[in-house]
Amino acid sequence: MDVKKLAEKLHPLERRVLPVLGKFRTLPQIASATGLKDVEVMRALQWLQNKKAVQIDTELKEVVTLDKNGEKYLEGKLPERRFIDKVKDKEIAVSRLEKNGLTKEELNTCLGTLRKKAMILIIKNKDLRVKLTDQGRKFLSKEFPEEDFLKKTFPVEVKNLAPEEKHVLENLKKRKNIVKVELQKIMKAELLPAGRQLIQLGVQDEKVIDALTPQMLRTGSWRDKKFRHYDIKSKVPRIYCGKKQNYRRFLDGVREKFIALGFSEMKGPLVESEFWDMDALYMPQFHSARAIHDAYYVAAKPARLDEKLVKRVKAVHEKGGKTGSAGWQYDFDVKRTHNLLLRTQGTACSARMLASKDLKIPGKYFGIARCFRPDVVDATHAVDFYQTEGIVIEEGLNIRHLFSLLKMFAKEFAGTEEIKLVPGYFPFTEPSVELFAKHPEMGWIELGGAGIFRPEVVVPLLGKDIPVLAWGIGIDRIAMFKLGITDIRQLFSHDLNYLRNARVI
Amino acid sequence: MPTCTFSLKDLNLLVKKTIKESELKDLLAYAKAELECVDGDEITVQFNDTNLPYLWSVEGLAVFLRGVLGREKGVPDIKIKKSDYKLNVDSSVKSVRPHISAFVAKGKKLDEHFLAQLIQMQEKFCEAYGRRREKIAVGVYPAKKIVFPVTYKAVPPRSVKFVPLEFMKELDLLQILEQHPAGKEYAWILKGVKKFPLLMDYQKEILSFPPIINSDKMGKLEIEDDEIFFEATGTDLDSVNLAANIFAQLFYERGFEVFSVNIGYSRKPLTTPDFKTGTIKIKKDDVARILGIDLKDAEVKKLVEMARYDFSSYSVAIPAIRKDIMHPVDVVEDIAIMYGYDNIESLPLETYTTGGTFELQRFVDKVREILVGQAYQEVASPVLSNKELLFNKMNIKDFGCVEIKNYESLTYSVVRPWILPELMDVLMRNKHVDYPQRIFEQGIVSVNKDGRAVDYERIAVLTCHAKADYTEIRQAIDYLFRMLGVEYDIEDADHGSFIAGRAARVSVKGKKVAFIGEINPVVLNSFGVDMPAAAFELNLSDLFSALK
Repeated sequence: MDVKKLAEKLHPLERRVLPVLGKFRTLPQIASATGLKDVEVMRALQWLQNKKAVQIDTELKEVVTLDKNGEKYLEGKLPERRFIDKVKDKEIAVSRLEKNGLTKEELNTCLGTLRKKAMILIIKNKDLRVKLTDQGRKFLSKEFPEEDFLKKTFPVEVKNLAPEEKHVLENLKKRKNIVKVELQKIMKAELLPAGRQLIQLGVQDEKVIDALTPQMLRTGSWRDKKFRHYDIKSKVPRIYCGKKQNYRRFLDGVREKFIALGFSEMKGPLVESEFWDMDALYMPQFHSARAIHDAYYVAAKPARLDEKLVKRVKAVHEKGGKTGSAGWQYDFDVKRTHNLLLRTQGTACSARMLASKDLKIPGKYFGIARCFRPDVVDATHAVDFYQTEGIVIEEGLNIRHLFSLLKMFAKEFAGTEEIKLVPGYFPFTEPSVELFAKHPEMGWIELGGAGIFRPEVVVPLLGKDIPVLAWGIGIDRIAMFKLGITDIRQLFSHDLNYLRNARVI
Repeated sequence: MPTCTFSLKDLNLLVKKTIKESELKDLLAYAKAELECVDGDEITVQFNDTNLPYLWSVEGLAVFLRGVLGREKGVPDIKIKKSDYKLNVDSSVKSVRPHISAFVAKGKKLDEHFLAQLIQMQEKFCEAYGRRREKIAVGVYPAKKIVFPVTYKAVPPRSVKFVPLEFMKELDLLQILEQHPAGKEYAWILKGVKKFPLLMDYQKEILSFPPIINSDKMGKLEIEDDEIFFEATGTDLDSVNLAANIFAQLFYERGFEVFSVNIGYSRKPLTTPDFKTGTIKIKKDDVARILGIDLKDAEVKKLVEMARYDFSSYSVAIPAIRKDIMHPVDVVEDIAIMYGYDNIESLPLETYTTGGTFELQRFVDKVREILVGQAYQEVASPVLSNKELLFNKMNIKDFGCVEIKNYESLTYSVVRPWILPELMDVLMRNKHVDYPQRIFEQGIVSVNKDGRAVDYERIAVLTCHAKADYTEIRQAIDYLFRMLGVEYDIEDADHGSFIAGRAARVSVKGKKVAFIGEINPVVLNSFGVDMPAAAFELNLSDLFSALK
């Protein structure tokens, strides 16, 4: 690149660093020469390297520094110095030394190192005693090599130590917190031709504007200056802003889609009675899904229900009521129908809607309902999840209308017209159908279940038999696919990095 | 939903046609069943309709598929031979397990494959349809060992002893419940019962202890046995009779002769199996009304007969192996299935309706949008939680939550009555993530008010960084309320989750709607968070109704 153009792009930090590079190469040197902080120098050098003005070389060095005990012994005395000073010419019990300012640990080190160097003699009698050897006595008036070593000016590069010093270092390394040996990265900045040219050009140009200020605008002083050109490709620090949670956002989209298709939302409580959750849906009280392990039962007062409605549902279960059905042929437990549990299926909302004063005929309704079922939580099982369900009610509807509705859902939610409808089983619909759809990327998926509500469901709740198309869509699988996750627990993730960085769908 | 394993070769033999593996999936759909896997000749099938147990044996499935494939039609053929076999029912069983049905099958030898299939069917039938043997339990015995008449009675648990199946020593009935694996598994059925059911023959040899276990001497079927005694006991007369019919059909399909047994109920003696068909009338109009297709009478007849009913001018005879037909719609569904869902053309809905949602929903979404605008990251959590997190760690007392009686893990043992603890959990899990952390969660909660659960939409908002304080969070709620055009009052509050003197209660039109303040260091400590935080939690349902 043209050096002049390059010069225009230089950041003020680069302008300050460049001129000293002729004389100085290492980070501390450059920092002190420019008066900049280490990080500022590093950033400038990095940018200059990006501009091919500078080459940064790093080499690894093994460097010795004093650790906390090393510092302590430098100020005070090494334990072995204190040891021999105490013993001098005497033969002395080890236990006495311990009482005299040497810690147990230090004492053990002294005994070890001094005996190894043949400076002491250990006498084992009743108690453990020591005395100095001739070799030991020499050092009463002479420095230990370790003491010499501690007096060096640290940091010291291991490479530069004499062989006997290296030996001392090895010994000290074995002792606790006296010296630290670390690998250090030593950085050196080397000017490249472009860098030298820049220096020649003179980079300390007063006429370059770095930041445009209100002052400059008011006085017009910017007019005879040049703007520093930015390195527009350089990376910028990431920011995190406000964002909707991705699964909530997906569900918001599902809601809007239903509304756009002419459906009205319906709701129901989290804590539901067995009546609305199951009995009203003509699930017999001995149905296997009602066993204690398939619903969360809650401790609460019995539900308040419309007892006339309960009576009608009871009659339908027992002998079919006024529906022309034979019923399930058992004794319906009225007390049980008042038991409370956490809603197990979104269809409970449909049952409530059918009995509601707000029901409009013809009408289309949907619910995105929080549901709960006991399970062992793992990557594919949640105990707490959403179900998307709904109904369409209108005189004259039949299974052909249901099929077209399902086709529409396949198109809207799975983006496909390729579907398969197979006979299914739900206690509350007859005929029942299962919807499979060929998702363009996921392949064949079980998208939902549907059917026409049985008269045993509709008549007690509504008072008459009008066709009600009922359906449920397995929205979570599509959600997981769209969100790019494979673990269902991640729908409710508390991992902030994931939440912040998740793509907006 | 029962999952059964069959041999495809065996199925083909019984269907009298070679079904290719590729056709299997579509054929099974007629039975509301799915092909789970194919392993050589072995096919595994899952049946989705728990009310159709007659399909769960390869013999029953074959009878059904012969109809679908047009090899046979109408109610399946079966001949039951009259006999003098008698089973006396003592009145003592009335309060325990009152009903029993039985038959004897003869004339063929049991082979290994059929025995395995029989045992599989017995298990699936009792588990999935017999409500784990409580409603129906089924037993089979080598009939040659039995001296008729057989007696079914209830006896005191300690009064008899016998060696149960696959066991070494004699046990009395209570010992069986305590020591035998089957006893331990099914003891719950007899909980609180004083006398236990027992089946014995004329010579007082014990056949079994229904619904628990057969005797090892009298109740062990073996290959080559050619006379089999079957019985089903239970709590519901129709269901035990259905069991006899379904199993009789199964033996008949295998070429056995089936002999009936006279059941000597004291009030009303019966003979089982009883293959008298049921009847249901459907209206010609039902088919067109529900399916939207115009079928001629002959076509309806053909489809109904395919599904193995008999048909005579819209009077439908139901085979005695079915008990699931309650209403004409059930027959209409079978007509639709035989017609083929693929052949039913869809018809668009034509009525125009306007869609919509609740005002509260729109309000809630507005609030979320305002928080996002303030650079808060939205979070979502499970609704189920636990008291430790909701109260103890938050330094407050339980103010009323809905408790689950049969929770599996303490982690999910109550419904949350507030949301802020979930946000604290987020802080706890993200201590190494860049600050400031500004997060919110909007969602449903349920509060236990004097034993009644009340749901609310709430929002919790939290800021956490080195300089997070009351001013910042107050600014957040102030902005929210200004954007909603809401005037609010604020007063001192005492709340364990917040620092005393830096906590406040917010009310709108006299209604208390929110808590706001700096998070108490005690709470920060209990979550291991060493960064200051400030938060508010607002009841959106209450706020919404206050504004209306």
